[in-house]
This record gives sequence, C-alpha cells and structure tokens, in this order.
Amino acid sequence: MIKKIKASTSEKIILIFLVTLFILTLGTYFVIKNECLFVKNFDPKNINFKNPKNIAILNVPCGNVVIELYPKVSPNGVKRFITLIQSNAYDDVAFHRVIKNRLVQAGDLEFGKKDFLDYGKIGTGKSGLGTIKSEIENEFNYVKGSVGLARTFKNDTEDSQFFIILQDEPLFEGEYTPVGKVIYGVELLNKIKYQRHSEYILRPDFISTFRMLN
Amino acid sequence: MNLFRAILLLIIFITPLRANTIYNLIKIPNLKIYEINTKNKLKYLYAISSFRLGVQKNIVCLSSNKKDLEKKYKTIYKSLSRYSYDYLKKINLKYIVLCENLSISGINTAGIPDNIMKTLILDIKFNEDYFERVIHHEVFHIVNDQHKKLFNESEWIKFNSSEFKYAKCSICTEKLGLETYKKTNGFFTEYSKSTASEDMAEVYSHIIFLNTKEINQIRKLDSILDNKISYIENKIKKIDTSFNF
Repeated sequence: MIKKIKASTSEKIILIFLVTLFILTLGTYFVIKNECLFVKNFDPKNINFKNPKNIAILNVPCGNVVIELYPKVSPNGVKRFITLIQSNAYDDVAFHRVIKNRLVQAGDLEFGKKDFLDYGKIGTGKSGLGTIKSEIENEFNYVKGSVGLARTFKNDTEDSQFFIILQDEPLFEGEYTPVGKVIYGVELLNKIKYQRHSEYILRPDFISTFRMLN
Repeated sequence: MNLFRAILLLIIFITPLRANTIYNLIKIPNLKIYEINTKNKLKYLYAISSFRLGVQKNIVCLSSNKKDLEKKYKTIYKSLSRYSYDYLKKINLKYIVLCENLSISGINTAGIPDNIMKTLILDIKFNEDYFERVIHHEVFHIVNDQHKKLFNESEWIKFNSSEFKYAKCSICTEKLGLETYKKTNGFFTEYSKSTASEDMAEVYSHIIFLNTKEINQIRKLDSILDNKISYIENKIKKIDTSFNF
C-alpha cells in the first residue's frame, strides 16, 4: 500500500506560484498579441450623426474609424473620394506609408492591393480616373485626425491616395487638399503597423473595407 | 532587375527615418517653426542647426542665434508684410527660412530664392545697412523665376547706353557694391551693373524701399532709370493688378 504523502506548506506555495506564473504568462501572451485589446471599436449604428450623408466608415484591423467628409471645403476632392469609396476601390489596400504617431497613408489602388502588392512601386500607383486639381484655398485647420488627399511634389496631382494625421500639422494648411476629419476612432490608427527606420512598410496592414454610411 | 529592386528596397528599409514635416515640404533639414500665424500667410522658419543643400551640398547656412533672430525677425516681418497673400501666391512664395552666414560655394549671399519650393532663405547676419532693401531684392528673384517670360532681358538691355555690357554672371564680376549711388547714371548701385536680372532686382528693391518722393526725384533726373522703373512697375502690375508700389 502506497502511503499518501501530504504536500508541505512550502511545496503548496511553490505550486500556487507556478500556476499563477503560467496563467500570467498565458494571459500576457494573448494581451500582447492582441494589439487591439485596449482600443475602443465604434459601431456607427449606435451613433447619431448630424450629416449622415457625409459619413464614411474606414474599417481597419482594430475596428471602425468614423470619418466626416467636408464637401463644402473641397468639393472636387470629396467627390473623388466618395466615388472611390462607393466603388469599394479602397478594400484590401495597404497602409503603405506610416509614421508612428504622425500619419498613416493609403490608397494606392494600382500597387497597394493585397493580392498585387508591389513594394518597388507602392506609393506611385494611380486610380485610372486621372488627377484632380488641388483645393487648398479654403481655410482648414490640420488638427489630429484630419484627412487629406496625398499628391506628388506638384500641386494638382491628387488622385486616390489619402492620409490621416495623428498629430496637429499646421503647415499642411494650403499644401494639401483636405477632405474630412476622423470623428471617432482615431486611436485605432495608432495601431496600424509601422517601421522604425522607414516610412514605407514591409508586410503592411490593410484597409478591410471603406464604405459610406448611407 | 530583381537584384536592383532588392537593393533598392534594402536601402529604403534601412535608411533612417527623416519624418519631419518641414523637411518633407521644402527639403531643408534642421528647421523649426518661428511664426506661422501671419496675415499674408507667410510661414517663418529658422535653423536649429546648420544645414547643407544642393546636389553638391554647396549651399551652407548656420543655425540662428536667438537674440539676432528676434531682432531681425521684426525687420523681415515688417518688410514682407507689405506683400499681400494674393501677390505672394502669384509669385509662389510661402516659406521664409532664417539662418546665419548663408553661402553658396563659399561666397556669402544675402538670400537664396527658390520659387519651386516656395522658399526664400535669408541670412539674418547680412550687412545691416542694406538688409531691409535686400529682402525685396531677393523677393524679385522669386518673381522673376516664377514669371520668366514676363521679364525679357533683351528688352531690358536696350534701356542702357549701347556701350554698356553686363558681366556673364552675378559672381563673375567685382561689381558687388550695394550702396545706392548719389549720381545714378542708369544704375541704382554697383551691383546693378553685374547682370540684367540683378539690375532688375535692384530697381525693384529700390522702388519698394524708397518713398514715392525719392523715386519721382530719381525719375526726373535719370531717364534710363525712369524707363527701367516703368518697365518693372508695368510687369508687376501684369502679375497683380492690385499691387501698390
């Protein structure tokens, strides 16, 4: 007959310690892996908007970013933006240029699509709709969350690429065509993948969907 | 081709990140905002440390001393405030970079205009006696670069006497004096005699800097300068009809 040996108090403490350590390790692993754990996801259905016609929902890896568009500030820029959103053109397009806490840029429809990603050319692609004129005359405060159309070095070269700034950028006024502002979920954009040594991203995050609310 | 792409990608991904808004906009490093809330929307920036520019890095300017900067900013702001937002837009000038001991290939210069970058770099340590007028001189170079077709050098040369010839370039001559002549004889300064475009810039800066009475006096006494002043005034009016000299 095997004699039952009772665990001593110190053995019990070690056991409890090991179990706690295991749980903590496992928990931490999931917390670290889930980068979206502490950011709030917004459901646009639960929000009342003043101008629902001008609301666009950008779905990114951590959830919904709610953007209000300003057609009065940049009529042509917003028109182009809505045209592309309504044709689902931005779905599966990479955030190819990300500067931590400063800006995220996406919208290269030619070289930034998930299945046709071209690292050598990303950022230079076109939409096929042609370029539009810069609309930089109206006053606009480029504060955190502002959305603007990207362009080449020259004015009047806006097409499909857009950026969202993650900090105030007063020098952007009069330089870039503003199209709107994030009204909910700007913190979700801080979770977009970035690289320490480059503005351009290897294996970038993608836009899941981009839709108008109505 | 693939190897080339791989190398290119490697360079892109290991290059240190220069995530600076000002650098991205005007391609000049080491700048900070000095003042951006101005009536004519000019953005004043200053050098926090020295910078080098150009393909051969031959443009050099040093960081600005705070005391000098505060003092000179007032003068620069006052001088440039006479230009309206509309005029500045038409000539493509938006950023004023303030730094010290500006030089090109080792030769000191008061300013470097760049209409493509919408930028005018100004040396705040430039000779006090001419500093205010020289600001307008440099503004003219922006105007001239932006509206090249408007300012015809062949037409301009005809205003001078037939024996006179400009130098081949503004730095291939000893004629660098900026003091306004008492007896003008067709030129405001010695530097006016260097090249046609420098002459135009000197005429422009004097029209802006001197008062109407002084200009009218010069016009009466010097027919060549009278023609040159009229030429510049007409061309500027073509750029901006509401411009007031």
